[in-house]
Amino acid sequence: MDLMKELTQKAEQVEIINLQNETTTISFEANQLKSSSVAQTRGTAVRVVRDGRLGFAASSDENATMKLAANVLESAVYGDRLTLKFPSIQPAQQVRTYDQKIVDLSIPRLVEIGREILDLIIPVEPDARVNLNLTRSVQSASLRNQTGLDIAFERSPLGLELEIDRIVGDDVLIIFDVVGTTEWNDEYLGFVHRLVEQLKMARKLTTMRSGNMPVLFSPFGALALALPLHEGLNGKNVYKGVSPMRDKIGEKLFDEKITLSDDGTLHGRPGSAPYDDEGIPHKRNVLVEKGVLKSFIYDLRTAAKFGVESTGNAQRGLFNQPEPSSTNFIIQPGDTTLKEMIASINEGILVEGLLGLGQGNIISGAFSNPLALAFKIEKGEIVGRVKDMSIAGNVYELLKEVDAVSQETEWVYGSFHAPYVLLPQMNVVTKE
Amino acid sequence: MRDKIQEALKLSKADYTEIRIEDKESTRISYRGKDLENANAVIDKGGVVRCLSRQHGWGVATFNNLDDLKNKVEQAYQCALVAQSNEPIALGYGEVIEEHIQVEMKHDFRDVSMAAKKSLAENYNNILLGSSDKIIDTNSVYVDSFSHIYFANSEGTYIEEERPSVVVAASAIARDGDNVQQSHESCAGPFGFEFVQDREEMPRTAARRAVELLSAKSVVGGQYTVVADQMLAGVFIHEAFGHLSESDFVYENPKAKEMMVLGRRFGKDILNVYDDGTIPGQRGTHRYDDEGTPTRHNDLVKAGVLVGRLHSRETAAKMGENVTGNARAVSYRFPPIVRMTNTAIENGTTSFEDMIKDIKLGIYACDAYGGETMLENFSFSSGHAYMIRDGEIAEMVKDVILSGNLFTTLQNIDAIGNDFKWLAVGGGCGKGNQSPLPVGMGAPHIRIQNVVIGGQ
Repeated sequence: MDLMKELTQKAEQVEIINLQNETTTISFEANQLKSSSVAQTRGTAVRVVRDGRLGFAASSDENATMKLAANVLESAVYGDRLTLKFPSIQPAQQVRTYDQKIVDLSIPRLVEIGREILDLIIPVEPDARVNLNLTRSVQSASLRNQTGLDIAFERSPLGLELEIDRIVGDDVLIIFDVVGTTEWNDEYLGFVHRLVEQLKMARKLTTMRSGNMPVLFSPFGALALALPLHEGLNGKNVYKGVSPMRDKIGEKLFDEKITLSDDGTLHGRPGSAPYDDEGIPHKRNVLVEKGVLKSFIYDLRTAAKFGVESTGNAQRGLFNQPEPSSTNFIIQPGDTTLKEMIASINEGILVEGLLGLGQGNIISGAFSNPLALAFKIEKGEIVGRVKDMSIAGNVYELLKEVDAVSQETEWVYGSFHAPYVLLPQMNVVTKE
Repeated sequence: MRDKIQEALKLSKADYTEIRIEDKESTRISYRGKDLENANAVIDKGGVVRCLSRQHGWGVATFNNLDDLKNKVEQAYQCALVAQSNEPIALGYGEVIEEHIQVEMKHDFRDVSMAAKKSLAENYNNILLGSSDKIIDTNSVYVDSFSHIYFANSEGTYIEEERPSVVVAASAIARDGDNVQQSHESCAGPFGFEFVQDREEMPRTAARRAVELLSAKSVVGGQYTVVADQMLAGVFIHEAFGHLSESDFVYENPKAKEMMVLGRRFGKDILNVYDDGTIPGQRGTHRYDDEGTPTRHNDLVKAGVLVGRLHSRETAAKMGENVTGNARAVSYRFPPIVRMTNTAIENGTTSFEDMIKDIKLGIYACDAYGGETMLENFSFSSGHAYMIRDGEIAEMVKDVILSGNLFTTLQNIDAIGNDFKWLAVGGGCGKGNQSPLPVGMGAPHIRIQNVVIGGQ
């Protein structure tokens, strides 16, 4: 049965998404190649607007098309009344999301890459236990709606998920990283070199006092600062009235060194694609410019509620309706070098990782986290790792005054791009 | 289906092969504020083949297309040949089971109209919205799902099982100026529609608490004597201790083995912890795990001493221990891994009044609001909390985040309440991308000395 034809006879608007995915995974557990897997999955999700009401249904069973059609029409009986319009086709930027070099990686080559990674770590840290997943997918998505919009694109994400445990006596160190790309990069071992440097640096333990001091957030540590803002800039939280930034467009909320953007058009990033999941072209959206709040992110539904245009930030899984979500979330780099930043600190702390990120009432901007990995800075130099420390604060207060933002940046977990951020004063607590 | 599965199994060249097929339909209703966000039904049907080549390792194939099971068996076998395990992999004892488990719901939710489910969620949402003009946002959710699961392995086991699940949840967000607070309540179980009816108290509690939190002060950071309610104690034992009892954490890790050596003292004599997948009506309860092993009661800590851990067939064989029935998969999209079922701190003897009466300055921490553990270090947020002053519950405080070292913290548990309860809450547990897995948690009140509480 032709689902589009069937449903356009019964509803004013129809949208059909088809997803197909083939993923190959190679898993190393405790330095051993323990398993490999292949997943071939697919599914269809449908939205309709019938008598002005929105309905949704989805299925991974391709023999259940009749039921899918019946489900979506039943859903529309109860659905929200919305002035939502599925878009007609608009021109989009070219965004590279597919690389034949990734698609052509054979299973033996993926195994070899895994071995290369282990060979960089184990000789340096014979006590380390490495869990490593290499995941290569080929995804195709097609989106059609009743306006004739018909877009399809393919993506080739390659993901590396690495966890290194080192337990020496009572000292436990766990380092975790995830990298992702849809374009092959010959420097694919770069992140491993960085982790190995961290492991070496973490050997020397030292102690420090509690108190107010400068805190230098690495790109990873900067997640603690970015997560509450990421929530607060989401149009859905603004609509709900829970974002502390609601009604503040045009106001200067942060230090002018802070510029935040969302950009789904960057080549080769996991969060990138020419269009969002409702068929709106992706673009670069500046959210905070030199400390001034410029925009929030929206999908069609939240944009309709505000009477504005979607920013092209709809994201969905097969079984869920679209929601506004960031694509690649970016803190703009500054003009200080990391070296200068460290040199400027007489007594302070470098935060590389926090425990329990995102928990608690983060929408308020408040956070309080033990530090999973942190280093003491003394007289302009990193002098050793410190343990059993924690930091707490509110990002809306803290980011009013920023000492420096670095030129150097890193991609964190594939789709967050950040520099080092130095805050002049923050409360650091040591467990006695 | 049975013939198709068993025919495909017969052709496998692997040392061990299993096939699991799942056919699931679920309905979701959700309100956000005044808006109905979802009223829909989804269908998810697919399967997974897992093969073991003892000399190599595991191979897994997952799929939605069930037409060519034989081909999927071959694909999984080819995957297994890629693995390069250091030692041959053995499996713990696998009893041959043949069973068809059917459930009877008092009020089968598949016979309830979308309209009736919608009006249930709407009623709870109206209670949330109507409780106070400070409530600016709500979330009222109803979810049911019914799965048919077919499991068979190359040793002759064949199990067909029906798994129902029903959940209602209510969240309230209250605001006063820039002060935004929230509270969440839920209830869930393997039951019919009747289980989530007449739960008006649930949204009332969520709304009242969110509003109360608006006038709560932030806690002053420091070390306190903490009394945890059943919910926080249950989540704590699951997150901070339970995950370390999962043998896939220890079986390949000599250092972790030292840390989790049986016979090591973990707490005072009053502390008893177990995991039990057989307790009727709990969310982690099943007759068999997802490798076909019967579930059972497993003592983990007995009189303060570590006495057991949780196994899959692989980890049991590797460690020379018995299988425990803890290999679970969140869906056909994943192979089973070692998971908890229903995990609990056993009931004690101290009344709540006796527990708090000698505390000069402490904290009564209730509900868990997220948390993370990294080996023996943990960090948890309580949903709401009160100061304890001179043996009495005093004012409410917010932003109570507990952190510390698991071993010290367990040793510091010096009183266990006599008010045990199972927590029939929604949500679930996440591990290795497999989330949310329904689990049960239970505990009485517990008292812990010297807990570090974060604060600004």
